[in-house]
Amino acid sequence: MQSFEFVDINDKQSAVKLLDAENSLIRPQSGGTALMLMMKSGIYHPEKLINLRNIKELRGIKLGKNNELVIGSMTTLSEIEHSDLVKLHAPVISKTMKKLANVRVRNVARIGGALAHGDPHMDLPPLLSALGGIVVTLKKDTDKNRQIPIKDLYKGYYETSLLLDEIITEVHIPSLENRKTSYLKSTTRSADDWPAVGVAVNFSLINNKFHDVQIVLGSINEIPYKLLEVEKYLENKNITDEVIRTAGKLAQSTIEPISDSLGSAEYKKQLVKVFLIRALNEAILN
Amino acid sequence: MNARFPSELNVIGKKVNRLESYSKVNGTAKYTHHLNLPGMLYVKVFRSTVPHALIINVDVSRAKKIPGVFDAFTSSDIIKFIPDPYYGPAFLDQPILAIDKVRYVGEPVAVVIASDPHIADYATQFIEAEYKDLPAVYDEIEAMTSKSIVHDELRPSGTFPDLKHLIGKKNTNVALDYHLKRGNLEKAFKESDFTFEHTFKTQQVMHTPLEPMVSIADVHLYEKRVTIYTSSQSPSFVRLEIARLLGWRENQVKVVVPHLGGGFGAKLYIKLEALVTALSLMTGKPIKYSQTMDEQFYTITKHPTTFKIKSAVNKDGKIIGRRCDVWWNGGAYADIGPRVTQKSGFTAAGPYDIENVEIESYALYTNRPPSGALRGFGIPQLVWAYESHIDIIARKLSMDPLEIRRINLLKNGHPQATGTIMKDAEIELVLERLASRMNWSAPYHRTSGTIKSGRGIAIGFKASISPTTSTAFVTINADGSCILSMSSVDMGQGSDTAMAQIVAQVLNLKSENVRVINPDTDSTPYDMATLGSRSVFHMGNAVKLAAEDAKNKLKLLALEAGLGDDFEGPYADIFLKRYGMLAGSLIGFGVYIPTYTPPDKKDGSTTNATPFWMIGATGVELEVDTETGHINIQRMINVVDCGNPLNPTIVETQLSGASIMQLGFSLTEIMKLDNGQVTNASFSDYKIPGFNDIPIIFENEMVDAYQSNGPFGAKGVGESATFGVSPAIANAIDDAIGIRMTELPMTPESVFMALKDKFSQ
Repeated sequence: MQSFEFVDINDKQSAVKLLDAENSLIRPQSGGTALMLMMKSGIYHPEKLINLRNIKELRGIKLGKNNELVIGSMTTLSEIEHSDLVKLHAPVISKTMKKLANVRVRNVARIGGALAHGDPHMDLPPLLSALGGIVVTLKKDTDKNRQIPIKDLYKGYYETSLLLDEIITEVHIPSLENRKTSYLKSTTRSADDWPAVGVAVNFSLINNKFHDVQIVLGSINEIPYKLLEVEKYLENKNITDEVIRTAGKLAQSTIEPISDSLGSAEYKKQLVKVFLIRALNEAILN
Repeated sequence: MNARFPSELNVIGKKVNRLESYSKVNGTAKYTHHLNLPGMLYVKVFRSTVPHALIINVDVSRAKKIPGVFDAFTSSDIIKFIPDPYYGPAFLDQPILAIDKVRYVGEPVAVVIASDPHIADYATQFIEAEYKDLPAVYDEIEAMTSKSIVHDELRPSGTFPDLKHLIGKKNTNVALDYHLKRGNLEKAFKESDFTFEHTFKTQQVMHTPLEPMVSIADVHLYEKRVTIYTSSQSPSFVRLEIARLLGWRENQVKVVVPHLGGGFGAKLYIKLEALVTALSLMTGKPIKYSQTMDEQFYTITKHPTTFKIKSAVNKDGKIIGRRCDVWWNGGAYADIGPRVTQKSGFTAAGPYDIENVEIESYALYTNRPPSGALRGFGIPQLVWAYESHIDIIARKLSMDPLEIRRINLLKNGHPQATGTIMKDAEIELVLERLASRMNWSAPYHRTSGTIKSGRGIAIGFKASISPTTSTAFVTINADGSCILSMSSVDMGQGSDTAMAQIVAQVLNLKSENVRVINPDTDSTPYDMATLGSRSVFHMGNAVKLAAEDAKNKLKLLALEAGLGDDFEGPYADIFLKRYGMLAGSLIGFGVYIPTYTPPDKKDGSTTNATPFWMIGATGVELEVDTETGHINIQRMINVVDCGNPLNPTIVETQLSGASIMQLGFSLTEIMKLDNGQVTNASFSDYKIPGFNDIPIIFENEMVDAYQSNGPFGAKGVGESATFGVSPAIANAIDDAIGIRMTELPMTPESVFMALKDKFSQ
C-alpha cells in the first residue's frame, strides 16, 4: 500500500468541499471495509481519503414522514441490525444483517458505503432496491439534495450514478405496512462469504393474490437485477404452490447470470429458481 | 520455593491452564512481527509472472532510483556472497532467488530493500524481467511422462539415504519413487471374488497460518555471526542449513523463535531465513521480511494428489489384496515432499490386515507453487481415498460400512504392510467407540423431502516420522526453581504447557512454576523440528529424561552435602548446605532417539517402521439440500488414540482444530490456478471455515490407551483428527443421496452437478 492523505472531517458540507468532480483519486471513505481490501490488493491507490465516519449528523435512525425509515449514511450495519425501530418497521432488514458478512465487518461498515461501493456481490443493494428505498445525496457547491431510487443507483460493475463530488447522506425506506417481504441468499464457500445469489422480494397480498411485486436479484449480473418478467407474471395471480413454482422456473429461464468464482451461470440459475421459491414462501408467512 | 522430592502431585492428565494464555489474550505476547532492530531495513519480493521460463534478463536499475530505496538485488548479486545458494531438506533444488530459470508463477526473482516496507513494495513495480517461455506442466500424472522437465538435474541434499540413487538424474520429474511389495498380489487378484478400482483426487490448499511467515536476520560482519529471529517450526534445522549455506560453524548462527501464530507445517525447514540472511550479509544491515497473506500462497502448500486404489475382495467382504498408486504433486521445489511420499506412502493401504499389498508412490515436480508438509503429512490425502474406496465396496456388496471395516481391521500383534508388528495401536477400540457414540447399530432415521440425511464413518492411521532426535536441559536454581530449555516450538498447540507438566511431575513442582525457555539455538539444545505430532513423544521423552537426570543429580548433591539419602527436601536446602549460601545451579540433560529399522530397498519391508502409531476416526451425520447441493453437517465426532493424554483440554482443542482445518480442505478450500497463476490468493476468495461453518454438534473423544514407550504413556495428537474428516463426509453424502464424490473440495455446486448428472442419465 502506498502513502496517501487521510482527512478527518466533522461535518458533511466540509467533507464534500474536499472532493473533486474531476479527480477519482480523491474519495470519501465510509466504513472502509471494502476500500481497504481494494487498497491492500493494489487495485486502488488514492491520493486522498476523506473520512466521513466521524460526521455525527450522518449517523442515526429515525422515523420520517409517512412512517418511512430514515437512516443516516454513516450508521453502522450493526446499529441497524440492533435498532428497535428497524426491527419494528423493516424486520427484513434486521434479519438480513444477521447473516451479512460477519460481526467485525458489521461493526465497522456503514450503510452509505455499502450502497455506494457498487460491488454486485452484496446483500443491501438488491434488498433495499426491492423495498423501494432511495438515497439522499449531497453534492459539492449545491444546497439542493438529490434523491436517487436505489434501483437506479447502479450503472455497472463498481459504477454508480453518484458523481465524484457527491456523497450519500441518508437512506429512506418507505413504510412496509401491509407488505410481504423477505431476502434470502446462498453462499457457496464459507457461510460468511459474499452471496452467490441474493433474492429480495416485496409484494402485497390482496384477496390471496400477488400485487405490486418487486423482485431484485443480487450477484447475478453487474448490477442488481430487477426480475420484471416474473414480477409481471405474478401480478394478480393466486397464491398457489403451482404459481410459485412456475415463478421460480420462469426466473431460471429468463436470467443470464455471469459465471464467477462463487458459481457457474448454470448453477446460479438453479439457485435463483430455488431461492425465489423459498423467498416467496417465506414472505407469505411473514 | 519449597519443592521436595516425594511426589505429592499428579499433574499428568490434568486440565492445567496454558502457560502463555494470559499474555496471548491481553496482547503482550511478542511475535516476530513485533520485533524491530535499530537500523533495520525491509525487503519486498518481485515474483515471476510466468510458470516456466528461462530468465533472459532482470533489470532492477529503475527500482534502485526510487527515493527511499536502499538497494535492489537479483541472484547474480547473491552468488557473489553465497556461491551455491540452493537449499532444501531433501533436494538442494531451491535457489534463494531464481537463477537462470523460473519454475512457477510467484517464484522470487528479485528484491528491493528500503527503510519503509511500503516504499520497497512500490519500487518492486519498477523491476523488469524478460523471459523465454518453456512449456509448463501442472498435473502430477502428466508430470510422470511430460517432456517439460522442471529441473534439469536432480540434486539430493544427502540427508536422506533413500534419495541417493537419484543423484545426477536427468530428464525426469520424479523426485522419489517408493515401492512396497508384500505377498503375492497377482495371485490375490486372480483368486478373489471381486475386484474394485477407483481413483480419487485432492486439490492444492494452503496452511493459512494467521501469522504470515516472517524472518529477521542480523549479520555481525566483524564478529562473523548472524542472529536470526524467525517464525519457524525448526530452529535447529535453520541453524544447520544457514551454516551450510555460509560455510560457517553452527555456533556462528543463532536462531531465536518468539511466539508463533500457527504453523501447520508451513514454517518448516528454511523458508524466508536464507533470503534475509543473504541480504543482511550483503548490506551489513538487519533485514526483515514480513510476508503478506497472499505471498504465503506462493511459498508453501499442500500436495495435490491422485490416488488409484484397487482391491481384491472376497464375497464375505475380506480384502485379500490391494494395489495403491499414489502421485504427489510437489510443485516446483521438493521441500519435504519425498519424505511425504515415503513416510506416508507406506500406510497407503490403510489400517487393514491385507496379506498381499503393492504400493507405488511418486513425488513429482511440476510448475506449481511448492508443496510440503501440512498437518497430517500426506495422510489425509491417503485416507480420503482408502476410506472412500472401502465404503464403495461395502455398498456394492450390500454390507454395513462398519462391518466391512471390522472384518478387515489391523489388530495389535499383526503385521502392517511393511511387516512391522502393530503395537499400542487401538484401531479397533477407536472404531468401536465411534460406532457406539453414533449408535450405529440402531435404526437410522432418514428425512423425507428435498433435504436428505445420511451418515458416514472413516478411520485412518499414521506412523511417526523416524528416526529423529530431541534433546532437553532442565536447570535447577539454588532456590529450587526450575527452567526447561528446549527447541520445540509452541506454535499454539500447547507443547510448552505439556512439557512443563512432565517436568513438574518428575520434580514434584507446580507446572505453572516451571519456566520454559523458547527456542534460542545458542542456549536451547537440538531438536529435529516441531512436526508430524512428534514433540510430545520425542521431546516429551527427552524432557522426562532431563528432569529425571536433574532429580538424580539433586539426590547426589544432597549426599555430597551430607544430607543423607533419606533427605526429602526442600531442594533449596541442598544448595544452601552444599554451597553455604543460596548459590549454584544444576543441569539435567535428556536425549531421546527411538529405535528404527530402515525399509528394505527392494520391497520396502521393515520390522520397525515407527516408534508409535496415531489413530483417528471421524463420524458425521449430515443433511444434503438436493435442490442446491449444500451440505449441512449436523454432528461430527472425532475419536482418537493418543495414548494417555497429558492435558485433556489441550488435546481436545487439537482435535477440534485439526478436524475444522480438514473440514475446510473437504468443503471449501482450493487454490485456483489459471496458467499457473493462483487466482484466489487471499482470504476474500480462499475461504477457510468460519464459526458458522462448524458442525452444530461437535464431539471429541480420546480412547483409553497407553503408549508403552511414550512419556507417561502419551503420544502425538496434532494431526489425528484430520484423517477421517473428508471421507466420512463423502461417505455420508453417498448414504444420503447415492452420489459418490471423488474429488476435493466437495462444494455445493459439485454435489449439485453430480446429482443432476445422475438424474439426467
